[in-house]
Amino acid sequence: MEKVAILSHTDNNRRWTGGLHGARDILEYMPIIHLRRTWDAFLITTVVLGSAFIWMTRATPGGTVVAPPAAAATLPAPFTNHPAPDFTLTTIDGTRVRLSDLRGQVVLINIWATWCPPCRAEMPVIQAAYERFHSRGFTVLAVNQQEDATTIQAYLRENGLTFPALLDGAAEVGVAYQARALPSSFFVDRRGIIRAIYRGPMSRGVIDGTIEHLVAETP
Amino acid sequence: MYPLLELGPVRLSSGGLLLIIAVLIGTWLFERHARQRGGEQLVELAGRCASVALLGALVGARLWYGMFSWDVYGRSPGLFLAFRIGDFAWPGALAGGALAGYLWCRHFGISAVELADAAALALPIAQVVASIGLLLSGEALGAPTVLPWAVYLSGVARHPTQLYFAAAALVSRALLAWGARSAARPGMLTAFYLGFQGIAMLLIEALRVDSLVVAGGIRVAQVSGLLLLLAALWWQRSHVVAAPS
Repeated sequence: MEKVAILSHTDNNRRWTGGLHGARDILEYMPIIHLRRTWDAFLITTVVLGSAFIWMTRATPGGTVVAPPAAAATLPAPFTNHPAPDFTLTTIDGTRVRLSDLRGQVVLINIWATWCPPCRAEMPVIQAAYERFHSRGFTVLAVNQQEDATTIQAYLRENGLTFPALLDGAAEVGVAYQARALPSSFFVDRRGIIRAIYRGPMSRGVIDGTIEHLVAETP
Repeated sequence: MYPLLELGPVRLSSGGLLLIIAVLIGTWLFERHARQRGGEQLVELAGRCASVALLGALVGARLWYGMFSWDVYGRSPGLFLAFRIGDFAWPGALAGGALAGYLWCRHFGISAVELADAAALALPIAQVVASIGLLLSGEALGAPTVLPWAVYLSGVARHPTQLYFAAAALVSRALLAWGARSAARPGMLTAFYLGFQGIAMLLIEALRVDSLVVAGGIRVAQVSGLLLLLAALWWQRSHVVAAPS
């Protein structure tokens, strides 16, 4: 129907002689091409180009390697681009862990407690990151705030969490890191510099995206 | 990155707060456009449909996220019900909301097209607000870049993918408003909205570092985007493009 309507506007005696004389000619002759066939070609092209684009831009592991920025400060402080304040705490099985001994590794300091629902909800994601990146020089220090070892141990076992949990009985680290909200997370790079601070529960994208980048940096 | 807004002793999740504001603005705009396009009768339907669609979006967003993060969710199924703002996926919200809305309309024998057109006009503004929430909470991380408009998130200068999504939503909103002024045939605004969403998802998702992926690193949101775009083009083919005689 539409084709007939379009043709009736044109002079049937005119034949296209190879040249186009302005927009009017284009508008007059274009619809004569079977539109639906053109549209189908367009659809197929979209499928092909779209699929190729998806394949070319697929997520590849490893991340982009970028040189670490120079640290802006030399004074240890719980702020981005400052050296992470050092501490020594005991794990739930009695081992003493000193943050500065972990120099050369990417460390996630997660300040938490078992009574804090958002802390609990992000633990499975932290565990997954720990398993995924541990062999590439990443570790977690889960600094528990003022709970006893038995409570923490039961919680970790029940949830299959294997990263080191530290006892901060007097909340010294919590205070030194100004952890007013739980959970609070500090990403420390291989040089011992705090590179990212996150107050509140982190999504998996934030955790993995941050670690992926930091482990790619050379110490 | 300001994931927590600290107002004295009260701490609010900025992403969560902006998501709630986005939902409120979206619902308000949805009813407003329904009134403009179909009068009191349509606005009454919109009010009833909105809560069903929102519930569908909530369930869809979490199911989608959990399904494509199965290595973690399979081990801790409690996460499906966890109060975690970050664990929502937009394609799942769109699919869940659309499905719930469609089923609701079918159940009551209502044509879904007019409501869908009103929703298409309302959704982009809600998406702009929600995208700003993502930026504040530092989620939907972009790939590292040295471009002058990079934002510093999680220790690195990155593509502000959240703002790219917001910009795409604003452009789609402007085009939809322009389309709504002419006597577009019913369903056209919906088809345009979905097609434009598809293009935005296909292109912008490529710059994210935290995409949900399937085997081979294929980004789920890009596949969804391409399917949305194709569905919109197919709609155009069957409703607008002339058949060969």
